[in-house]
Amino acid sequence: MRSAIVTGITGQDGSYLAELLLEKNYHVHGTLRPGADATKSWIAHLLSNPALQRRIVLHQIRLTDSKPVKDLIADVAPDEIYHLAGQSHVGLSYEIPEETCEFAVLSALRLLESLRSQCPHARFFSASSAAIFGRPTVAPQDEQTPIAPVNPYGCAKAFATHLVRAYRESYGLFACSGILYNHESPRRGPDFVTRKICRAAAAIKAGLQHELLLGDLEAKRDWGHARDFVNAMWLMLQQANPDDYVVATGVSHSVIDVLDATFGSLGLQWRTYVRQDPALVRPREPVALLGNSHKALVNLGWKPTVTFEEMIREMTFAEVERLRETCG
Amino acid sequence: MAKRALITGITGQDGSYLAELLISKGYEVHGIVRRASSQNTARLEQLCQNGNAPAAKLQLHYGDMSDSVSLFRVIKDVGPDEVYNLAAQSQVHVSFENPEYTTDVTATGTVRLLEAIRLAGLRPRFYQASSSEMFGLARESPQRETTPFHPRSPYACAKVHAYWATVNYREAYGFHASNGILFNHESPRRGEAFVTRKITMAVARILAGTQDKLCLGNLDACRDWGYAKEYVEAMWLMLQQERPDDYVIATGETHSVREFLEVAFGYAGLDWQKHVVVDPNLCRPAEVGRLVGDASKAEKCLGWKPRIRFKELVRLMVDADVALIKSQQGRGHTAA
Repeated sequence: MRSAIVTGITGQDGSYLAELLLEKNYHVHGTLRPGADATKSWIAHLLSNPALQRRIVLHQIRLTDSKPVKDLIADVAPDEIYHLAGQSHVGLSYEIPEETCEFAVLSALRLLESLRSQCPHARFFSASSAAIFGRPTVAPQDEQTPIAPVNPYGCAKAFATHLVRAYRESYGLFACSGILYNHESPRRGPDFVTRKICRAAAAIKAGLQHELLLGDLEAKRDWGHARDFVNAMWLMLQQANPDDYVVATGVSHSVIDVLDATFGSLGLQWRTYVRQDPALVRPREPVALLGNSHKALVNLGWKPTVTFEEMIREMTFAEVERLRETCG
Repeated sequence: MAKRALITGITGQDGSYLAELLISKGYEVHGIVRRASSQNTARLEQLCQNGNAPAAKLQLHYGDMSDSVSLFRVIKDVGPDEVYNLAAQSQVHVSFENPEYTTDVTATGTVRLLEAIRLAGLRPRFYQASSSEMFGLARESPQRETTPFHPRSPYACAKVHAYWATVNYREAYGFHASNGILFNHESPRRGEAFVTRKITMAVARILAGTQDKLCLGNLDACRDWGYAKEYVEAMWLMLQQERPDDYVIATGETHSVREFLEVAFGYAGLDWQKHVVVDPNLCRPAEVGRLVGDASKAEKCLGWKPRIRFKELVRLMVDADVALIKSQQGRGHTAA
């Protein structure tokens, strides 16, 4: 039976990836911060499932501590490692730049170094981000687009992307970066605009909220579904050769599109409730952040299966359901 | 009132030349040094002893790039007009063996320093020592400010990170922060672990009869080698501009390690092939491409261009090391 280590297993991507790997009969070892409570996370349903208990093991370790990372890799001797852990919010990276940087740098290094010394044949996936392109001058972006980040989060991700390539080229490790564009789901963090809108729409529908403050409504992003994206991660590690891949839908939508889809599916007019808050407006990109995942299609046979409208519907009704559960 | 400059990495090759340059321009110079049981300030000896540069012009403060509290304290205490971030673990080969330490000091250290400046509420002009190693397996030749980076070592990855952090503080907070993308720059003060100095020291010792063999890695590696003393002038010039920007600093010529050997040994009347042993262990796990820089932007905007060329540089380093070995032997004799 194959085994995999998933860092950041309690997050959006980690939980979907854990589901995918368990379905494929893997032994899954997840890492989480010491003191974190996995039973209140997105993998709670996996932990409470008696049929899965033997195949999912959690390890509370700090990925910035070298000894526990080395021990974990030596003990598990995994076939695959998926490095998803990290502070993933751009805004927060301005408030805690040193921590954002230090975590990304040290966790990537300690995993790669442990891999090199303990388990050099294991395959390694690192979650990179479209944020490494900063404000690109061409659209869509692909694997050849120059890396030029513009915020501390992007700088940290760019470092890890470069490091993964350097270790692949220097030591022949099977190490890949997935340059992931925005990917959403009902498990997205509540600070992200898609989830924020879906939550607010559900609360407005229930009469619990009357207004929603947003930044730039014209801002456009390439939004895919996290469940599709974790499939691309897995596919990258099943190839004959390691490489970096852009993972994106190739379609861009504006915040207004999100509003239309969310409020529309609940029979509401968003214009009645949405107010623009200039404090939330970020400078707009000169060209759209839009990914070209042609290489992933050709080499991995990967393409998104969930449409934007389906995804927003799923997210909206998940919020309606949550409200129903909490309010009785 | 005299301008105040703070230099990290002041005990190194570039730091010592820069300190001399700034003192000659009337600056009050402050440097950050690590606390250690043995002093590492040999390159600053001239400055510390020279009567023309009273001690008050040069002050050293204990601090460490891996300790944000110490950086914040020094920034607060000094209140500099200009900050030159030269500190790093600067050997590419060592970075493969000590990747965590290298990135902690070089990448995260730069973020700590920028953040310390921001939190101290000060807005000194900021110079970041970026490196041609960032180009690595470059997509074009010669490399210029717009060439995409393809770093090939933990050192280069860390330098790219520090580069973007510097750009980010300029764009997000309006810092007057500039990157100097310096190609290799050498001098008699270059550390002995670097290939150029390793060669010129070997020439001097072979002449003195105290060494015979010289172990080297890849003789075909090509670099753009300039003179460090001229390169620190470019650093200063960048911070005197109205607007911050990023500049390539290079000679525009590339030479192989083999050519360096030919000039250095030839100048001393020696045949390098009789002394050099190639040791594959000294080759890097991943070599970079032919590095050669296009410094035309620096010439146009800063009025900077290199004066000392390759052969002159090699000879100057050989001369200095021959003199150094002689003076050491002289001291040895008197002591005996």
